Amino acid sequence: MRSFTGRWTPYLYIAPIVIIAGGLLYYSIGFAVYASMTDWNGLTKMDFIGLDNYVRMFQDRTFYIALRNTVIFMVFTVLLQAILGLLVAVIAKERLPGSNIFKAIFFLPIAMAPAIIATVFKYMFEANYGSLNETLRALGLLGANDNIQWLGADLGIWSIVVIGIFSWMGFSMMVYFAGLMSIPDELYEAAELDGAGWWRRLFSITIPSLRGTTSVLITLGIVGSLKTFDIVWLTTMGGPGVSTNLLSTFLYQERQGREAGYSSAIGIVILVTAFVLALVQMRLSNREK
Amino acid sequence: MRKKRLAATVIMYTVLGFLAVLWLYPIGVAIVKSFAVGGWGNYASVLNHDQFNYWAAIGNSFLLAGGTTIVIVVISCLAAYAFSRMKFFGQKFFYRALLICLAIPVASVVTPLFSTINGLGLRDTYIGVIIPLVAFNVVVMLMLMKSHFDGIPQELVEAATIDGTSAFGIFWRIFLPLSGPAIATISVLSFVYSWNEYLLPNLLISSPEMYPVTQAVSLLQFERMSQEQIGQLYAGLVLMTIPSVLVYLFSQRYLQSGITAGAVK
Repeated sequence: MRSFTGRWTPYLYIAPIVIIAGGLLYYSIGFAVYASMTDWNGLTKMDFIGLDNYVRMFQDRTFYIALRNTVIFMVFTVLLQAILGLLVAVIAKERLPGSNIFKAIFFLPIAMAPAIIATVFKYMFEANYGSLNETLRALGLLGANDNIQWLGADLGIWSIVVIGIFSWMGFSMMVYFAGLMSIPDELYEAAELDGAGWWRRLFSITIPSLRGTTSVLITLGIVGSLKTFDIVWLTTMGGPGVSTNLLSTFLYQERQGREAGYSSAIGIVILVTAFVLALVQMRLSNREK
Repeated sequence: MRKKRLAATVIMYTVLGFLAVLWLYPIGVAIVKSFAVGGWGNYASVLNHDQFNYWAAIGNSFLLAGGTTIVIVVISCLAAYAFSRMKFFGQKFFYRALLICLAIPVASVVTPLFSTINGLGLRDTYIGVIIPLVAFNVVVMLMLMKSHFDGIPQELVEAATIDGTSAFGIFWRIFLPLSGPAIATISVLSFVYSWNEYLLPNLLISSPEMYPVTQAVSLLQFERMSQEQIGQLYAGLVLMTIPSVLVYLFSQRYLQSGITAGAVK
């Protein structure tokens, strides 16, 4: 094996990816760790201030609001879109006529830019002339002069969860569908002979067999939630006030406010959270196997 | 038994139909509203807008997504070949170190990223956006390519080695020709992911004439919007979605297989 390549050849093949991806990303992380311990304003001023930014963050009310929203987004988006995706995948597996059309509908948002989806939802959720309230009024579910502030301080984060579910469900559906295809039919036939009903088969064969798929989807969902930025930034920009901020948009606001050091510290917290949660999730699912 | 089967079918269609209505509602709203007030005139106005140039936005997105895709395909194939078929010191270390990059959210490093790109003099250039787009998207593609290369029989490599074919010759004449569908898959995924990216261009591009579609959305929005302007915004959104839908329709197979493979591996 060794004879077919020179000693340094392999490094030439991996050099571009290591330099562009590894180099840029690890350099950025290192830079962020250092910057997070300075009072950098993004330009020239950059004095070392130790852990002051982290202390400040843990005393910052906005940080806790952003953290709470990120947790809400993570838990509810990941859970609900996975459940809906599983439901649709299980139904699609029955091969009803037309089920491919339904699959295509649910998968379509995957191909659409989140920026465009977010903008559509922003005007749809708008309280006065937005289509959602208009539709509810037309259906008589909302008084002619009433408004629901879908993107207000109370409901805002939940509306963003809805956008997340809309965007991601097709992905889970597809992945679950692929997983379902690999469950042997004999299992179902045997269960049917034993007289197991539909629900029984779902809970004792389908869901346990898809455990691996579910765990991958949860890991991707956790990381995906921490990556989520555009669907908040382009709908509420974290507002009204700071009520719908995720950690990512909180960071971006601070960055725009010339708080480069502080925003780097927020970035490190996001990064560490992503690594830790992904690692814990992978450990847990490995132990189950 | 047949009655039960019928009832089950009805329930399943009801669930699918209900969800389909929810999923089609926002899309329907966008299409219906794009004709509000001005009708087709909204589309004409958007195509002749003062601030927003539709074809420029599409062209910019094509440049960014196309450029990113080409770089990703070249460098991920080369590296996947080395990781799959060569043995070298630090192999596992490099591969793991790259895989860890999958968990890095773009947002978490925007501040240093901006100064790095700015320091390289690449702010407000296409290259300056393509480099981080490649960095953040290439590792998934590396994984997909490596697992595809892992499946190519070793006998082919051995036979070619005996014939005196070089390492690059084996890559070029055996591995690449056997990888058409895999390369198509990573190309489509890279293209769609880069086309859809908002945060990186928003961070690094400041000239409106260089905005890709995701950023150009802001050019159609104003502080207080008239019904007419909202109609035009929706028309713009529909127009800007057309390329995505075309890519989706023509590459559905690769997109779906790529997305599921990426999750399963």
